[in-house]
Amino acid sequence: MRTLDHTLVVNHTPHTIKIDPGWSLLHVLRNQLRLTGTKEACGSGECGACTVLVGDVPQLSCITLCARVRVPVSTIEGLSEESADLRRAFAERGGFQCGYCTSGQIVHAVAILRAGLPASRSAAESVLRRLLSGNICRCTGYVGIIEAILDVAEQRTRSA
Amino acid sequence: MSESSRRFSTLRNSVRVAPEDLQQTMTKRYIGKPVPQIDWRERTSGISQYTADLFFPDLLIVKILRSPYPYALIASLDTMRAEAMPGVHAVITMADFPPGTRYLHEGACDRPPLADGVVRYVGQEIAAVAADTPQIAAAAIDAIDINYRPRRAPLKIAESLRRHSLKLHARKEARPNVSRVFRRRWGRPDEAKAAGQVAVSGYFEFGRQTHASMEPNSVVALWNSDEGRLHLWVSTQAPILIRDEVARLLGLETDNVICHEVAVGGGFGSKSRISEHEVIAGALAIKSGRPVRLVYDRSEEFEASKSRHPFHVQMALRADLEGQVRHIEGQINVENGAYDHSGVSVVGAGLKGLGLIYQPDGIALDALLVDTAILPGGQFRGYGTTQVSFPLECLMDDLARKLDHDPIDFRIRNAQKDGFTSLLGAEQKTVRLKECLEAARKAIKWDVLQSERPAEHGLGVAAGVHLSGSYAERDDANRCDAAIDLYTNGRVRVRFGGADTGTGQKTMLAQIAADELSLPIDAVDVLTMDTEKTPFDLGAWSSRGTHYSGQAVRIAATAAREKLLAIATSRFGDAEFTLDDGNVRWRDQVIRIGELVQLSNETIDGQLTVETSFVDHNVVRPDPQTGLGNMSASYNFAAHAAYVRVDTRTGEVRILDYVAVHDAGTVLNSMSIEGQIVGGAAMGIGAALGEQMVFEQGKLANSGYIYYALPRAADLPSIRPFVVENSDPRGPYGAKGVGELGINPPPAVLSNAIYDAIGVRINTLPITPDKILVALAERDNRKRNFRLHLRPGRWWIALVRWAYPRGLFAVLRAMRRHRSSRVFPPPLESIAAPPTLRDALPLLGKTARPIGGGTDIVPRRSQGLESATVLISLADIQELKAVTVTADGALEIGSAVTLSQLCDPHLTHPLLAAVASTIASPQIRNMATLGGNLVQTKRCWFFRSGFECFKRVGAKAPCYAILGDHRFYHAAIDGHRCQAVTPSDMATALVALDAELVLRSAIGQRIVAASRFYTGPGETVLRDDEIVETVRIAGATLRRHAVFEKLRLWEGDFAVVSVALAAEIDGEGRWSNLTIVCGGIAPIPWRAVATEGALNGKLVTAETLRRTFDEELNAQAHPLARNAWKLDALAGLCERAVEKLTRSA
Repeated sequence: MRTLDHTLVVNHTPHTIKIDPGWSLLHVLRNQLRLTGTKEACGSGECGACTVLVGDVPQLSCITLCARVRVPVSTIEGLSEESADLRRAFAERGGFQCGYCTSGQIVHAVAILRAGLPASRSAAESVLRRLLSGNICRCTGYVGIIEAILDVAEQRTRSA
Repeated sequence: MSESSRRFSTLRNSVRVAPEDLQQTMTKRYIGKPVPQIDWRERTSGISQYTADLFFPDLLIVKILRSPYPYALIASLDTMRAEAMPGVHAVITMADFPPGTRYLHEGACDRPPLADGVVRYVGQEIAAVAADTPQIAAAAIDAIDINYRPRRAPLKIAESLRRHSLKLHARKEARPNVSRVFRRRWGRPDEAKAAGQVAVSGYFEFGRQTHASMEPNSVVALWNSDEGRLHLWVSTQAPILIRDEVARLLGLETDNVICHEVAVGGGFGSKSRISEHEVIAGALAIKSGRPVRLVYDRSEEFEASKSRHPFHVQMALRADLEGQVRHIEGQINVENGAYDHSGVSVVGAGLKGLGLIYQPDGIALDALLVDTAILPGGQFRGYGTTQVSFPLECLMDDLARKLDHDPIDFRIRNAQKDGFTSLLGAEQKTVRLKECLEAARKAIKWDVLQSERPAEHGLGVAAGVHLSGSYAERDDANRCDAAIDLYTNGRVRVRFGGADTGTGQKTMLAQIAADELSLPIDAVDVLTMDTEKTPFDLGAWSSRGTHYSGQAVRIAATAAREKLLAIATSRFGDAEFTLDDGNVRWRDQVIRIGELVQLSNETIDGQLTVETSFVDHNVVRPDPQTGLGNMSASYNFAAHAAYVRVDTRTGEVRILDYVAVHDAGTVLNSMSIEGQIVGGAAMGIGAALGEQMVFEQGKLANSGYIYYALPRAADLPSIRPFVVENSDPRGPYGAKGVGELGINPPPAVLSNAIYDAIGVRINTLPITPDKILVALAERDNRKRNFRLHLRPGRWWIALVRWAYPRGLFAVLRAMRRHRSSRVFPPPLESIAAPPTLRDALPLLGKTARPIGGGTDIVPRRSQGLESATVLISLADIQELKAVTVTADGALEIGSAVTLSQLCDPHLTHPLLAAVASTIASPQIRNMATLGGNLVQTKRCWFFRSGFECFKRVGAKAPCYAILGDHRFYHAAIDGHRCQAVTPSDMATALVALDAELVLRSAIGQRIVAASRFYTGPGETVLRDDEIVETVRIAGATLRRHAVFEKLRLWEGDFAVVSVALAAEIDGEGRWSNLTIVCGGIAPIPWRAVATEGALNGKLVTAETLRRTFDEELNAQAHPLARNAWKLDALAGLCERAVEKLTRSA
């Protein structure tokens, strides 16, 4: 097995690390960089818990081979400031219970909110429900998550 | 906290009934309010540490050798080679435990820590390895030498009960393979039966549901040899139960096993008793002398976590002519699985569930707990009551209808009132079922919708009851202790021995402490789970949390308050002392609580502790023979109602509105109660409409989320929770339990609503589209005739299929020797990322495989389907990312264009956008490419889940789909030896658009029509040195109107069936250049050539198409035993597509 020297920028910090070609981005984030906020729940791209931003794009770090990542990565640790209103809304709307899927939900929601949602709340809800269908939550039945994100979308529109 | 306090209000959706009851909480600052979880900052920022997030120096990784057989004797087991491997620090087998070591469960002890000479289900733990890295541990697992002598064992209840079946255990019961016989007679069943003049009955099945907690079961164990103590960090609901069993099995003093606090990512019952991983990790930590970590991967979690016991229920209800339910009768067979893990108590609890609601004069129940060679069942939210609520509440509807009563009125008539003692002896001080039903009626707009709902729309209702902590399992289960530490810095700590798996229990305890001590909640910390530092509590199961921990902490906090007042009195003399926001006030004086603590001579090191014990004397342990007794302090009730639309063309059920009304006594936290109600209902809806573990030959076929239809966000409506608030005299502040009940009503609600919509009763769960279409076809007496005798081309296949159950399958299977079901991929050597196609193409070959988005490479490697060690990434090749229009007006789409890009309807063609947006999730679409989608490997769940099938291992192996569950993802047309289908939805669309694929290799290019690209399920004409370069769609085709319709089990799922329809439509509505291409129905995208020909140039309506299309299907299809319904669904989708296309033209 060959080990590669790879430079990975995570949350604006460059890291030069030795990696195996088979390692996933999730493995490197958690084990090499000890950024354990990103969770593994399925390991095969089926549940969204490991969502991170690669560049600006939400991707599943458990199926992304780290060696292929050449653009900066943002994880929940790096996005918690930008998502301060979103995190509070999750807390106040019951958008999480056990919290295990929450990092992935919030990282994905950050990207969704950057891209924008329809102005009407009901249209926004149906768009959002489809967009978030790759992020499984087993606790909440999604109501709190959806309402938290919709609330923040409205607040941000109002204050913009 | 302060901003959120200002937002405190009543529940968003809730009606609060009987406000006079609520004086206890009206004056409270925190209790009753939607207080966010106290650790929300950590939980939402990734800071909270779950078990897998813990690192220790020299941490070893544990892997487990699991049984590939449902039942086999272990002829030999030798771990010498594994132990000798560098980097391996310990290997354990059953030989590491004293002979006969077994786990204890209420009344049963048959489960060993590791297989004891025999394996009894696929996935059973045989040996475990602790090694430096996962790779070494995996290699060591492979190096364990084991020989099995497989035996044919019963895998289903019916097989187990056959006289000649292998006897799985030595049991006390006379009937073979019956672990326990239950006979319950409550009230006066014989007289009651006679009094019931109107009867309804039915047979119902509740299948196996799995918890699928987002955090898999996990444990870290550390052995301190100096202290002789084992430290555990376990994702559990019940630390004390873990501690006690780990200590017992490892021969340690109870106090020498210590569980520590850790964040827990959901449990739902699966983590409420000991499983296997805790003891395995403990034993390995002791043997290796190093800290070890064992985290189940998702397939292990599915395969080895003890799922819900399947119930097969024959039930009858009888009522008198006035509409009073008089008699309940049931014969229930419960699948125990391979061990008594918790089967005995689940059946007991399930039977009791029938004795808690309504008031018949007599109940007669007989149940068998039946052993099978399948994963043992376990604890699951609802605990047996979920499985019996389904038949009970379906039959309540049938009975109402037979008596010509409204289903809600009928239930109200039979609902009980406060102070009711049920036949079971359950003392129900408060019963607000009637109010729940009335609130549900109002919220769902029952009366309005009943009179004016459209066709295929239906309303359903169901009621439910549950406990607030059962006095079960142990004699001390009616006790719960708590401690309050008061600090000189003014802070307060609650110490509590249970575990908060996400229910908000810690927050509730902080609310109670803050209110009792008149403190801001920010001044309160809560320590849980730590078996050394926290007092006695049995954990979060049986909806105990609110009642027991609420009472315990209330008592402790009240005592702490008294203590503070006593200190004040002793220091400052008699006065009227009041506590207020962290201060004690009297007359015009004030002192901070912390300063007061300092004044106490009981304060040690700045800490003053009050510890109290709560024992609930209102409850009794039910008699084990009769089940009688008031096992719970209070009983909580619910009524759920739904409004659904059933598509009779496709069998899809859409929930348009869902309301869940609960009586849980006083609300302690209005946000977390809503969360429990909605979350429970969502899980119940999952069980009702999609979730089911599928076993074939004892092995799980759907061991991942991708094949498990649990609800995703778009599959659910915004479930609306309501609370009928009141105050139960036995609960803390009047509160009752709430955590489990939400899961019980949904299956009956939905079966009832579907009946209301379309007039057929589906009584086996989950209610998937196949069951609806099959039931409708039976009702209408529709049968397809495939005239196979006239189709010599299918005779050979028909013969093979005929021979499969008659020995052929067994013969083919016997030719394969099973290996370990786990696959560890070969290491990847390198990933090349050539910048241009010219650089990339020469690199391709058998062992150097191209990847596009690479979304399937990690899964395929772990499934043992990819052995290439060099990958050629095409992601950086700009030439492949272009979308261009050629001089002749054709559209050329580079194969590395992502599915997300294709979602833009203006980029290529609206049909491709429509298709792309149905594929997987946005995150997958951001990575996945068009080319990758087209060449993706088949998704047959047998093939993907490691079944050694024909396509995996070669011609002499069987196809598991022929006899296995092929209802959804297998072919009904043209199936040959493999029944899989091409999974690409893009393929279906591109064939409909007459697209061509440009294939490129280092030596040149060739152009292949999309319709000729596939040679079999997910198999193509592509050579090893070739890639798909571009997809080309002719200009003329682009002008066609086109639509795509897809039937799937969950948002983002692969097509069960799909259709892409394209045509030009002239001014008079005539269709020409018509293409009808169907996905999911045949090994490759299937064109309805005859229908296309017959309809070309005609005015097409849904009816004309359906007639012709049905004829073609009947002439072409050769379905498997249980997937002919897909033809109906496909025809239904086509009708829908025609209507949509007509509208769009």
